[in-house]
Formats: sequence, C-alpha cells, structure tokens
Amino acid sequence: MTSKTEGSFIDRAVMRSLDRPLPLVAQYAVAALVIVLVAVARVLFLPASLPWLLFIPATIAITLALSRGVGYAAAVLSAALGMASMLGPLHLAELSQSQWAAGGLFLIVDLGLVALAGAFRISLANARALNESLAESGRGALEREAFVSSVLASSTDCIKVLDLEGRLTFMSEGGQRVMEVSDFNAIVGCPWPDFWQGAGNVEANAAIEAARQGRSARFIGKADTFAGTPRWWHVAVSPIFGSDGKPNRILSVSRDITDLRASEQDRDRFVRLAENSTDFVGMADTDGHVSYLNDAARRLVGVNDAGDRSLTVSDFFPPDQNEIVQRDVLPAVAAGGTWSGELCFRHFESGELIPVLYSVFPITDADGELVGYGTVTRDYRAKKAFEEQLRLLNGELSHRLKNTLSIVQAIAIQTLGTADPAMLSAFSKRLNALSAAHDVLVKESWSTASLGDVAHAALGSFDEARRFTIQGPDLTIGPRATLALSLLLHELATNATKYGALSVQEGRVSLTWSCEDNGNGAQLSLEWVERGGPPAIAPTRRGFGSRIIRMGLTGSGGVDLRYEPEGFTAVMSAPLEQIQQA
Amino acid sequence: MGQFTPFLRHPVLVIEDEPILRIDALDMVEQAGFEAVEAMSVDDAIRILETRPDIRIVYMDLDMPRGVKGIELAARIRDRWPPIEIVLTAAYFNEQDLTMPARAEFYPKPVQRDNVIAAMRRMAGHVEDQADS
Repeated sequence: MTSKTEGSFIDRAVMRSLDRPLPLVAQYAVAALVIVLVAVARVLFLPASLPWLLFIPATIAITLALSRGVGYAAAVLSAALGMASMLGPLHLAELSQSQWAAGGLFLIVDLGLVALAGAFRISLANARALNESLAESGRGALEREAFVSSVLASSTDCIKVLDLEGRLTFMSEGGQRVMEVSDFNAIVGCPWPDFWQGAGNVEANAAIEAARQGRSARFIGKADTFAGTPRWWHVAVSPIFGSDGKPNRILSVSRDITDLRASEQDRDRFVRLAENSTDFVGMADTDGHVSYLNDAARRLVGVNDAGDRSLTVSDFFPPDQNEIVQRDVLPAVAAGGTWSGELCFRHFESGELIPVLYSVFPITDADGELVGYGTVTRDYRAKKAFEEQLRLLNGELSHRLKNTLSIVQAIAIQTLGTADPAMLSAFSKRLNALSAAHDVLVKESWSTASLGDVAHAALGSFDEARRFTIQGPDLTIGPRATLALSLLLHELATNATKYGALSVQEGRVSLTWSCEDNGNGAQLSLEWVERGGPPAIAPTRRGFGSRIIRMGLTGSGGVDLRYEPEGFTAVMSAPLEQIQQA
Repeated sequence: MGQFTPFLRHPVLVIEDEPILRIDALDMVEQAGFEAVEAMSVDDAIRILETRPDIRIVYMDLDMPRGVKGIELAARIRDRWPPIEIVLTAAYFNEQDLTMPARAEFYPKPVQRDNVIAAMRRMAGHVEDQADS
C-alpha cells in the first residue's frame, strides 16, 4: 500500500530528485550548464540594470532539485558570471565599487536563499520519510489486527472476553463454531457461569472471583453447547489487566476435551482392569526394574511399599527359578515371543515358595520397540494343593483297589478250596495283570499310560522277563487300551511259557510296535514274535485267554495270529486315535 | 536250637490286620506245610516274637494303618532278631518306593501264592543251613 500524496509541481520535482538523485558530477555539470545558460540569456535578453534577476530563481531551483551543496556552487558561479556579464571577463578590475557591492550583496542573498531552499528540501524529505513510516506503521497495525482476528477465528478453542461481572462481551468466531452459537447477539451480556451445570457452575463462579482478584484459574467441567450437545471442557480463566494494572476484563478460554476424556475413560478402565484383577499383574523395564505391581501382586508376594522402584524381576524368585527366568524367559520375550510356565515365586517376608503359572509378554511402544516386560501370573497354590490332594486320593484309590483285588483273590481261593490249583493260579495271575495295569495308570492320574510302561508292567512279573525284548517309540495310550493290552500281553506270555518259545531254554520273545499313517489317520501296529521254541500249533480249545487275545487292542479284533514252524506270531493293529481315547 | 525241627513244620508268623487276607494267608502258609502263627497287629507280632524264639520267618502286610508303619516294624524285626527272614507284601507301596530290610523279599498285592510259597521254602532252607552249622 503506497500512498503518494499529490502535491505542487515543486513538491513532485523535489520528490523525484530525492527518489532518483543524479551522480554528483552530473549534478554539478547540470548546475553549471543551467547557470551558464542563464548568464547567456541575461546577456542576450535582459538589460544590464537587472544583472542578477534570473540567477536567483535558477539557484533556488537547482538547490531544490539537486542539493544545497550544488546550490552554493551555483550561487557562487552565478555571482561570478553576473559580474563578468556586466563587463566581460577581461575587465573585472574596471567594475565600479557599487557594482562590487551589488555583486557581493547578491552572493550573500543568493547563498541565504540557497540555505533556505536547502533546508526546505531537507524538511520536505523528512516529512516524506515521516509520512512513509506512518503509512508503514498503519499497515503493520492493520496486518496485526487481521492476524489476531484470523487466529481468533480459526482457533478451535472457545475464546471469550467477559466483564468483571462475568457477563459475555466477546466470543471468537471459532469459539462460536465449537459452542454451536448461531447468533452471538442473542447471548451477549449473559452471565457466563450459568452455561455450566452442576459442579462446573461452582467452579466457573470461583474462577470469575479469582480473576477479579487478579489470579488465573482452570477447571474441567461439563456444559452443553447452544445446540444442546453435551461436551467436556478444559477452561482457563485469567484476568485482563487495564492500564491501571487492575483487572478490567476477564479472558476465558475453553477447550473441548470430550474425545480426550473418552479415551481417558477407556484408559481408566484398563487401569482398573489391572488394578482389580485377582491375578498378579506386573510390569518391568527392559533392565528388569519393576515399574508396576497391582494389589493382588503385592499381596501375593508380600510387598507393602507400592513405590519401591528398586525391585527387580530377580527379587521375586528363589535362585534356581531366577536362573530359568534370566536364561530362558526374558530372552524369549525380548525376542518378541511370549513365555508361560509353572515357576515358584518367593514371598518377600516369609520366604515361602509360591507356585505360580508365570506368563510373560513383551510390552512395546508405538514403533514396536521393546520397552519392558509384562506379566499376568496366576497363583497356583490352590491348584497345586488340589493336585497333591488328587495324587494322594489316587494313591489311596489304587491302594484300596489292589487291596480289594487281594480280598477277591482270597475269597476265590477260600471258596473254591483246593479243587483246581492250576485254575486258581491262572485266576490269580490274571488279577495280577489287572493290578499291574492299574499301577501304570495311577502314575498319570488314570488318564493315560506309556505303552512301554504297560508292556514292562505286564511282562515284568514273569520269571522269564529277561527273555523279552521290548521295543518301540514313546506313545501314550488311554486307560481302556491299557487294561486290554495288559490282559492281552499277560495271556500271550502265559501261553508262551506253557507251550511257546518260553517253554524251552533258548526261546525268546520280542514285542515291538510302531506307528504309521496310511492316509486314514495314524495306525498303531504291535508285533509279538516268539522264536527259538517248538513249532507253533494252533490251540484246539478256545478258553478265556484265547478270547482275550482275539479281542485285540480295542476289543474289536484287528489281530492276526500265525502258528508257524519257527514259532508263534501275533500282529495287532488299531487306529491310534481309538487307542488313545479315554 | 538243639532239637530237630522238621523242615516243613517251621513256624511262620503271619502279620495281617485284614481278616479275610489273614485267613487266606494262614491257609496258604499251612498248605505249604508250615506252622502258621497269626498276629493281628504290630504289637501283637512283637509280643509273639518275644515268646516264640523258634519263629524264623515272618510274612507281613505293610498296609497296616494303625500303630507303627509296617516298614519300620520290618526294620525293627530285622534289627532285633537278625536271623529272622522277612517276606513283605503291600498294595500301597511298590518295591522301588521302599527301603527294604536286608534279605527281605517283597511281593505286591494281589500276591501270587506260588511265588510267596517258593520264597518261604527258600528261606526255610537257609534256616535249616543255619541250624545245621
């Protein structure tokens, strides 16, 4: 914005010369030329009685247009040429005294005029500079004003100015938007604290009172917008001081924190989730320093001081367990995995070992960098006690069962008397096989048994136990298959002792098993091979024993019996899935 | 002992608190040709052993719930009457869970009579040897 004040011709000429000054040499040349031309004009056109007339305006014009210095030079030149023009250059000495006086007077007057014109020129220049700086500052003020009002308009905060009574006098444009004000005139002058509900109203009044006394105040409150939308606001209220240093108005800036508050509430809920959990919830830095423990955690291990930051993960474990944590757990988690397993904590006061299910997971920041370890650990004392109880009960049950089998055997023997000792012996041995199977089952709480264990238990009671070769992969089988296989192996071994390979010194028996998947699921195949005994002959009579053998592993067959000259072979197979069923 | 004791009439002390098992055990011992002496409890057994120095074989059930633990009694018998041979049975224990007294033999329940009788006869042979020497 450039405002050129329209002035007189002289003004404009002077301005022009100020704006675009000629080089100094050119200025003197122009001045000299003008004065010479004036002198010539004076000789040609003016009478000798007016020798100085034209020089005066010329030097004034030169001074105004060029500068005072050039003006002085022009005045001196004018005086010289003026004098010369009266006589001609070669006759200076012939000038009269009055002519010398007039020339000197002219020079003094002209120099004075030059000084005046020069001062005028300088003041013109100053006035112009002042004018320009005024215009400049006016522009700056306008720009600042425009800037402030655009800031106010674009801020999403609601910026308000209140009078000392708390009445609304101004609200920023952006503020009107967030407060959903359609017509500010409708609410101007309204008492601002009335916009607040409940506790917010009390806080707002207190903030106004504080601002009146020159203090700032802030609070968080709930207020509806003018369109009725409920919102949470963070409000800062501060006094605006007048020139007397006393508050004369009040500034109130409210920020909509509804979303923030919602996310805070979400986070609050997570914090409460951890706080209220009955599981041990804890967090540690990457260097192992514990940064958080919930109440359940502190109770479990007996840490009272919530703010004790010197605890490390190691402090929670006895030495042997800590070794596992440092060697296996933390490295696994630091590598981005999780770890879960049964360990023991150590109580901080009593030193009691506390069996726990320890689960650790990495805690990462927004960039995925590891910042610590988290754990949700379950107190396993009750579970362990229960397991111990179960183990005891199992042992007791097994004991009672075997005792009962003993009593059954005693009753059978006492009932049947000595009628058939061989039959009683066979009966007693079958009871024994059954009992051995239960022994194996009780080891895993009656749920599963290892096939190898079952075979060793069933065949171990035979005198010829050394002559069995038992071989096969580790496999677990269910309780039903355990009982069936135990009785079956007992019958096979009994037969081998009576008629087969074990009836002679050199005979041997091998029991091998393997698992194969032929496309219909894994199939267990078990082979009983007798060698070194008499040629095998199929029995003519089918007793209980041979029926047990024919039932196979699952009670439904799958048994191939071969009676060959080199010995007896039994191949039994069944789907592994059935064998492993409960 | 100076007098001759027929091989098959060696007395065998049966310590068993379960009546039916005791009847059966006594029957087993007698059928095997031994003299059966019965004890219903640990205290009972100690008393009998104190008055019957001729008893050299003890058949004992470790599962007795009252009084001293069976295995401790067995150890005490071994200490107090070193020559006595001991045959043990139990439902609650396995042989590997027990610290067996020296020379004692263990047969898990339900016992196979043949095995137990064979053991007793072997032990009676030892007793004979000791008596001879």
